[in-house]
Amino acid sequence: MPAGDGRDGKDRTDGKWVRRDSGPVVRPYAVTGGRTEPADGEVLDLIAVVVAVGLAGGATDDPIRLTPEHRKILRLCERPMTVADIASDTAVRVVRNRPAVQLPGNDVLKEILNGLRAL
Amino acid sequence: MGSARSDGAGTDAGGKAEADADASMLAAHKILIAGGFGAGKTTLVSAISEVRPLLTEERLSSAGAGLDNLRGVGGKTTTTVAMDFGRITISERLVLYLFGVPGQERFWFMWDELAYGALGAVVLADVRRLRDCFPSVNYFETRSLPFVVAINCFDDAPKYDAEEVRIALDLDPAVPALLCDARQLSSVKNVLTTLVESISAGTQAERRMVSALPPM
Repeated sequence: MPAGDGRDGKDRTDGKWVRRDSGPVVRPYAVTGGRTEPADGEVLDLIAVVVAVGLAGGATDDPIRLTPEHRKILRLCERPMTVADIASDTAVRVVRNRPAVQLPGNDVLKEILNGLRAL
Repeated sequence: MGSARSDGAGTDAGGKAEADADASMLAAHKILIAGGFGAGKTTLVSAISEVRPLLTEERLSSAGAGLDNLRGVGGKTTTTVAMDFGRITISERLVLYLFGVPGQERFWFMWDELAYGALGAVVLADVRRLRDCFPSVNYFETRSLPFVVAINCFDDAPKYDAEEVRIALDLDPAVPALLCDARQLSSVKNVLTTLVESISAGTQAERRMVSALPPM
């Protein structure tokens, strides 16, 4: 993964698609072959949970049809995964969307509290 | 929150039902870490979780006008912003994300979307540059997002107690203010648990509702 803590001003990508001096050389979604949108009208934000359910039209894991990034993303999504984690693991930039607000109930807050205390 | 789904490559009816079941097994929530430049946001996140970089493509707004030099790139409507985030696994199906919000004024256009749906926020304050955190405090006050003010005790900074800082910031009594050491896990845990306790108690929201009533 890219290293650097941001405080030293170093570029934090691996430099493949983004260079400090030249800026991005391709649009971010060129890497994944286009922008992804939820098929069912839901909103994807940074902490939206996604999971892979197979490919459209009976496609298989065909290296000709799928880019390495595609396959990496699909592999990451074999288990439920947030958009932020996928973007960080692939160094693909994300465009954020506004999510639907649904704040958790007190039982979830209590679980978070207990989890934090146990760290 | 955190139940949006996409298969990323097409949908069929059976797969969608399966995805619904799988995705609902994981819930993600977020807390924002705000504060001025150099207040210790990255330090705080790294004290309690693995810090990972994230590149986001942000739509440019008038907030960046005059700051982001757009000469010669007239058609440019987005810019790339790097930020940090940390992931705390609470349980197999519950994950907490900490997003370090870029503190500089020119990143304010990001805040609305980042704050949307957040549980709450931590405002990191440095007593040597207390006014750097005014914008964050104003922001969360006006957006009614529960927050705590954590005074990061730098070794070479003058010592104040939390009450003095509370007065300086004119904080609502329902907003907790506490001293912390952003390098220490135990201290960061204390900050986050104070925030979640405050959210859970609902006192910040209640007070705001009362204060929002028109004067008699």
